[in-house]
Amino acid sequence: MATFWLITITGIGLGALYFLVASGLSLIYGLMGVLNFAHGTFMTIGAYMGYWFSTQIVDSRNTWTFIGAMLVGGLSGGLFALLVEQLVITRLYDRHIDQALVTVGVALVVAAMLGGWFTNDLRIMPTPDWFVNVVTLSSARIPVDRFLYIGVATLLLVTMIGILKFTRIGLIIRAGVENRQMVTALGINVRLAFSAVFFLGGVAAGVGGVLIGAYQNGFSPLTSGTWLIYGFIVVVIGGMGSIGGSALAALLIGITKQFANYYVSGLGDFVVVLLLAIVLLTRPQGILGKVSA
Amino acid sequence: MLRWKYSRPLLNIFVAILAIAPLLSFGPLRFPGIQQTLAVAFLYGALALTYDLLFGFTGLLSFGHALFFASGMYLTTIFVNHYNVNIYLASFLAIAISGILAVLIGSASLRTKGITFAMVTLAFGEAGHVIISRNFGNLTNGENGLPINADRVPQIFIGVINTKYLFWLALLTLVVVYLAVWWVTESSAGRVFSALRDNEVRVSVLGLNPQRFKLVAFVISALLASGVGVSMILVSGGAAPRFASAETTIALLLMVILGGAVTRWGAVLGGIIYSVASTRLQDLSQSTALDSIPKIIKGPLSEPTFTLGLIFVLIVMFAPGGLSGAYYRGRFKYLNRAKK
Repeated sequence: MATFWLITITGIGLGALYFLVASGLSLIYGLMGVLNFAHGTFMTIGAYMGYWFSTQIVDSRNTWTFIGAMLVGGLSGGLFALLVEQLVITRLYDRHIDQALVTVGVALVVAAMLGGWFTNDLRIMPTPDWFVNVVTLSSARIPVDRFLYIGVATLLLVTMIGILKFTRIGLIIRAGVENRQMVTALGINVRLAFSAVFFLGGVAAGVGGVLIGAYQNGFSPLTSGTWLIYGFIVVVIGGMGSIGGSALAALLIGITKQFANYYVSGLGDFVVVLLLAIVLLTRPQGILGKVSA
Repeated sequence: MLRWKYSRPLLNIFVAILAIAPLLSFGPLRFPGIQQTLAVAFLYGALALTYDLLFGFTGLLSFGHALFFASGMYLTTIFVNHYNVNIYLASFLAIAISGILAVLIGSASLRTKGITFAMVTLAFGEAGHVIISRNFGNLTNGENGLPINADRVPQIFIGVINTKYLFWLALLTLVVVYLAVWWVTESSAGRVFSALRDNEVRVSVLGLNPQRFKLVAFVISALLASGVGVSMILVSGGAAPRFASAETTIALLLMVILGGAVTRWGAVLGGIIYSVASTRLQDLSQSTALDSIPKIIKGPLSEPTFTLGLIFVLIVMFAPGGLSGAYYRGRFKYLNRAKK
């Protein structure tokens, strides 16, 4: 039973990290039809800014520093996402394939720039000392940092749902995902919602970048690639444009991957892709996705 | 979509000159180093063309194309190294199995469209990459790559002195792929591929099954890509995980966009330029030419993807159609002016 809890909770922790990457991707795709390959760079920027904050601004490793790093990382991820949206995406209005292509280019350029300035060596994210502690839960010894990931992801999920459900901009975003033409026709400025979605997605990815930097003991401009691909898988399985779907799919994938890896080392990635294939064959629109073209 | 249909005597002459150039005692092509660089470039040109068939002609933005290139490489090498199969039979088997793989992956991922299809193929491609780099079943030798057993390769392909044979092999591969793609895209099925790209609903209204035609395009381009992979084993000495990575597919995308989609020669030219440029930029970054530039500029410039990525972004934003698109636009303007 101990192993069961260990695997389940570490799986949920992993799922939380996937959710941070996927939530923004899903919203951006749902609203704008943009497949955002630059999303990984939002993570990387967040991670570097968080690292910069906790090593150059305040050189300490306590809890507050880490919270500060998450805030700085999230904010810079969000602002950078806004910059990309304003500089590149808005210029290719409604040319979806070109938008996807241009984000590929942005991802390459930014990764090469960061690699050129800071090298591609792994950097260790400074973490508070309690990160290495374990919590004993019905005789299972669970690393305590997993609970942090789960907590942060839950907080962001609740915040996002709050914004989507109870604010005016959230209303516009939800309506825009449903039917963008209609919203535009009613004279509402959807452009603002686009920027909001990019900012929110960037914040989630930036925070995710800091946490992933802590989770995998080091980050570089090249580490975000795999996470981005998992983000895509989560979005496809969860259903495009559905935050709840992304959360569910992220949990499903995190837990499945941990269990598969426990029984056969390295099987996790394979099982996840198998899961993707099954979902596509039985329910191409994803778990919570709506049927659309 | 405008159509340009010429027989291309200039192109034939150019290929003929390329083919005899390594035999001459003058000219740059007598050096094995340049023969090798160009052999790799030709194969990337051919690979970019197979991607153009998928992305440019049929409108399927796949991010898993590198998987079939790599499966051609790995399966051939595995058959030759581990099972002592004759290299010709091994390449045939590898291409056939890659085709079956393409049927399976294609039928699953073609249930989605457009951007979702891009994500799904990315996931399949990445799964392949992971299987290869994790050394699944002790067949692929993981991250280190799998060099082909040189004893079982025809001896004319071994040794620096014989680089010209690799050059010819690559050129031949390029010509064969070019002719195959030409034949496919000019056939009536090829018309349907382009129609699917332009208006899929129209195609199904006409009573044709879009899924089936898309799958055919997907499988043909996968077969050709795995064939290019077989040649690449000989040119690069073996299979390596980087050939299966998403970066390779993204590089193919860059090549096609750079040269311009749907013109065939555009993709080939894009592939050759990209391949040569990334080798040259790599050399440049290690030379002392950049030493006087401040680090803030020198850093990114020393990464080939920075320059190539920037060019790519600029082309997508400001010059859709790439090099061949620009050529045809210029030609169109010129012809119009001449008429007046």
